[in-house]
Amino acid sequence: MKLATLALALIVTAFPVASFAQDATTSADEQILIKQIQTNRRGVYAEYLKLTDAESKAFWPIYDEYEAKSKVLADRYLAMVDKFAEKYDTLTDADGSEILKERLKIERKRLDLKEKYTNRIAKVLPGKKALRYAQLEARIENLTQRNIYTLIPLAR
Amino acid sequence: MKNLLITLAAIASLGAAEGALAQLSGNMTDQQQLLIAQIQSDKRAMMLSTLALTDAEVAAFTPIYDQYQAEMKKVFTRSGEIMNKYASNYDSMTDDAAKGILDEFFEVRKDRADLLREYAKKLGRKLPATKVLRFVQIENKITALLDWEAAQVVPLSK
Repeated sequence: MKLATLALALIVTAFPVASFAQDATTSADEQILIKQIQTNRRGVYAEYLKLTDAESKAFWPIYDEYEAKSKVLADRYLAMVDKFAEKYDTLTDADGSEILKERLKIERKRLDLKEKYTNRIAKVLPGKKALRYAQLEARIENLTQRNIYTLIPLAR
Repeated sequence: MKNLLITLAAIASLGAAEGALAQLSGNMTDQQQLLIAQIQSDKRAMMLSTLALTDAEVAAFTPIYDQYQAEMKKVFTRSGEIMNKYASNYDSMTDDAAKGILDEFFEVRKDRADLLREYAKKLGRKLPATKVLRFVQIENKITALLDWEAAQVVPLSK
């Protein structure tokens, strides 16, 4: 899958994170597309990193560990968005403050995790491939974030 | 939003030719500095129109936001310098140079996240939390858009 195709797929894909998101144009087809993207994420790295057998052997266990830890933070983020959705119409300053703190905390943890694992990857791959990995990761994350941001309304 | 998109298009066209990017050194050009100023001016206008603040809130918000923008300008400048360094090394990138760029990339990302957190706290002392949350949401959206535009002009490492 070319990056442009992945970009398009992510842009048109809704993310079923909360009640207001579900009110958006999340169709069954789009849900299937999300699953395809999640599956193909590995495929994107495999295609663009062009790892040797030895590099693959070193890279994938670290990547899988990163993905597992990343998912924990993604779930926490989704829980935060769900809470925001639930309280959206009657959001108080106390709610806003709590959601904001959680959001900033998760974002920082996500960045720390990304740096930690990219550094580990840089120890087992040549610097240029590690950089390429970080670029791919940043682009995929950017696509996902922009997609999510379009589905979450601004606080009132 | 329209102004910001025009500025982003200008950035994209500035970097459209990989060869032209490769001519740049690690220092920011005057043109890039001008574009940063333009982005920040557009961002400010967009932020003020989207936040829907009362007059009293605007008076409290703008000095803090301008301070934030001044700090963020340093981050923008560093990002541009990294991009230029990447471009000038692109054809003959060594693994060591790539690792150095990677380290700098994370430094900038962390500085950016820390600044947003610090200024969200400062704004939280002056504005209702729901409006600070709104500020962070808008800032994140703009940043994601800028990152995306930047990614369009930077080819993947060879």
